[in-house]
Amino acid sequence: MEKKGARRDRVLEVLEEQGGLVPGASARVSEQTGVPEADVYGVATFYTLLRTPGVARVCQGLSCKIEGSDALAQRLRDEGVPFEEVSCLAQCDRAPVSIDPHMELDHVARRGQVSPADRALPMNLGGEDDASYSALARAKELGPSRLLEELKASGLQGRGGAGFPAHIKWSAVRAEADPTHYVVVNADEGEPGTFKDREVMLRRPHLLIEGLAIAAWYAGAEKAYVYLRGEFPGPKRALEHALAEARPHLEGLEVHLVMGHGAYICGEETALIEAIEGRRGMPRLKPPYPTQKGLWQKPTLMNNVETLACVPDIVLRGGQRFHDAGRTEPGSKLYCVSGHVENPGVYELPLGVCLDELVAAAGGYIGSPRAFSPGGASSGFLPMSFRDTPLDFSALQEAGSMLGSAGVVVLNDSVDLLEAARWQQIFFEDESCGQCAPCRIGCRLQRRALDRFLETRDPVHLEHVEELHWEMDAGSICGLGMVASLPLLSAMQHFPEDLDKK
Amino acid sequence: MKVTLNGQVVDAREGDTLLDVCRREGLDVPTLCQDDRVDPMGSCRMCLVEVEGQRRLLPSCALPAEDGQVVLTESEKVKRHRAVLLSMYLSDHELDQDGLPTERGTGNKLREHVLTHGTGPKLPPIEAPRQYRVDANPYVHFDPEACVLCNLCVRYCDEVEAVAAITLAGRGAGTTIATADNRDLMDTSCELCGGCIAVCPTGAMTEKAALGSDWREEEVVRTTCNFCGVGCQLDLHVKDDRVVRATSPEPGTTVNDGNLCVKGRFATEFIHHEDRLTQPLVRGEDGQLHPASWEAALEVAARGLLGVKERHGADRLGFISSSRCTGEENYLVQKLARAAFGTNNCHQCAAT
Repeated sequence: MEKKGARRDRVLEVLEEQGGLVPGASARVSEQTGVPEADVYGVATFYTLLRTPGVARVCQGLSCKIEGSDALAQRLRDEGVPFEEVSCLAQCDRAPVSIDPHMELDHVARRGQVSPADRALPMNLGGEDDASYSALARAKELGPSRLLEELKASGLQGRGGAGFPAHIKWSAVRAEADPTHYVVVNADEGEPGTFKDREVMLRRPHLLIEGLAIAAWYAGAEKAYVYLRGEFPGPKRALEHALAEARPHLEGLEVHLVMGHGAYICGEETALIEAIEGRRGMPRLKPPYPTQKGLWQKPTLMNNVETLACVPDIVLRGGQRFHDAGRTEPGSKLYCVSGHVENPGVYELPLGVCLDELVAAAGGYIGSPRAFSPGGASSGFLPMSFRDTPLDFSALQEAGSMLGSAGVVVLNDSVDLLEAARWQQIFFEDESCGQCAPCRIGCRLQRRALDRFLETRDPVHLEHVEELHWEMDAGSICGLGMVASLPLLSAMQHFPEDLDKK
Repeated sequence: MKVTLNGQVVDAREGDTLLDVCRREGLDVPTLCQDDRVDPMGSCRMCLVEVEGQRRLLPSCALPAEDGQVVLTESEKVKRHRAVLLSMYLSDHELDQDGLPTERGTGNKLREHVLTHGTGPKLPPIEAPRQYRVDANPYVHFDPEACVLCNLCVRYCDEVEAVAAITLAGRGAGTTIATADNRDLMDTSCELCGGCIAVCPTGAMTEKAALGSDWREEEVVRTTCNFCGVGCQLDLHVKDDRVVRATSPEPGTTVNDGNLCVKGRFATEFIHHEDRLTQPLVRGEDGQLHPASWEAALEVAARGLLGVKERHGADRLGFISSSRCTGEENYLVQKLARAAFGTNNCHQCAAT
């Protein structure tokens, strides 16, 4: 029950000002916001960056693990630096990495690459950012119905992972009768293996802001929110700078940057809304969908960074052209690739290229490739027999995996797949929000089953993995629980030889 | 509206959830996190049902009934889901010697569900990495090992009592129920109403005083709470002629609607206290109190009051009643003052 005049939306921000969950912080935040103290405490304990403030953080993502995050952690330990091991920091192209207590990159192995500049590419991360906002002007010229036609013709599918047709979401929000609509940008990039949105914001912030402005104009929103990972101070600076430059073009639109505080689940759209509202990031039941009742129960159009970054090109050069830039499915796609490849980075390629083509763009494999994870932790692992499978939404789904956020991680034969699966299961156990029993209990059971197996090599410990996966898929509230067993399950399915190792 | 429930076409009303419809039709859809007094959360996942046209199972407690819905509550998929889910709950719950969820003297809905719906695979305990805390408050005991994280206590405390003394804290398997900074309840906004105990489906929240008592051996006596004039109904649980705990009757059945305050729920010690007066006492010539009959005691009181009125006038009398009396009794006291003695000097300790 909200107290009248309470500023719940400020809870997370004020907690951050207080230095996170330090003694007495809950009481002070409660005083300043009018939100009950216990509630504030509950919120603070949900977010990694708040519950253990003021320490360095070492990434435990798959790519960092492969590249030696354990050695990095040992080094910090030897140096006496207080640190915490955390889930993916979205710097897989620079693995292994750590960040300092101010979230700035501390130890970076190298700088990732992007596709070379090419004006033909819709997002063209290597090119110059365009601050003319001509696409926004053009969209207004076209008018809402022709704009929607172009979006429809482009075939653009949401780039956050689900691949939902963008035009359906857009028109659904526009059609809602409530006079207040919001647009939210999901910039909470945290799927291990994924770092494309980071590069969009660093290199082409205007592309995102322009896409956002077009979306807001179309949806009839006067306020837009960018929910940005707390561990992204660089993209934050880039966006702030670009927003200041863009101001003359953004009349009638307020854009708010909201920083995340360390919770992978807040990439789930309803959990993200809860976080902006100042609550624990626990996904809501759907329906209603955010397009109907989203932020503050108002119709909300939420798109991923890359989805919006595709929009200016669709407007300027036409939906059909964007559509034709794809191969098996519409459009060009930002693929992240890391792990055992020569030049990890973000490559803009036709949607539906296969692994070999992607890795060729990244300078080739390192060593003898054995497996890959096509779309982050949630996509599990595939063996190299799938190297010719189009990396698109439908083909990967058929393969029992998913494109997700297109965070491709390549593993060569130096990696034990069950060990890799274990890192991913730890990730899901750490990041389950804990709200619903199938995911809360299931993630821990799966991780412990794998631990026991690796200790004893007795397959009896893995006998219930499939049944638990079935229930987590059938019974969880959100997508996290549905996919959380895939790393282990796919490793067992595709790499049975690793089960027999002694 | 018409809904097809397990092949039967039944009526549904505007505003119904599917669970409402199921219950009206007498179907046993198990729940843990549902209580009519708070908004549905849909997080325990016990009440999931199969709805035609939907790939996933959906929580009947939160899903609005819609005309033409075709719903299965006992399909193979639903049964399999319940069994595996209950197995998972068992792996995160304190179990007794029979491998069943421990009873903590109050009944345990999880245990009932396990006995009714069965379980799937036998799973090892998950040993959840929870924070524990010792709470020195005199009344409410919390055992995280018997908690299913239904969050009813937190929602009740917030949505019904508007006290918000407790919260979900932590994340993932380590999630538990906590207070701000893990302080004792006495040190928070908690009013010790004990509603958290009343809504807890498993007995993870229990009365400290009743720990070890078994509800099956308790006789329930309905009475009216005598701490104030509201008239809350109380169920006193009696064992060996002693009150071991007090609960409210079911929500929706009495004036208190399932709620009690700290006095009604916990202040039962006076019943058996050695200092409690159980008969009238009249002070004798010797200055000591002596047991007397009601007639004799009333006679003495009346004589004294009338004496004051005769000697000094009625307005030299004052009548003070207690908030521990019922509304009717308070009414009668002022009637006595005004009509019998002729003074308006009457007061009640809850008047402000």
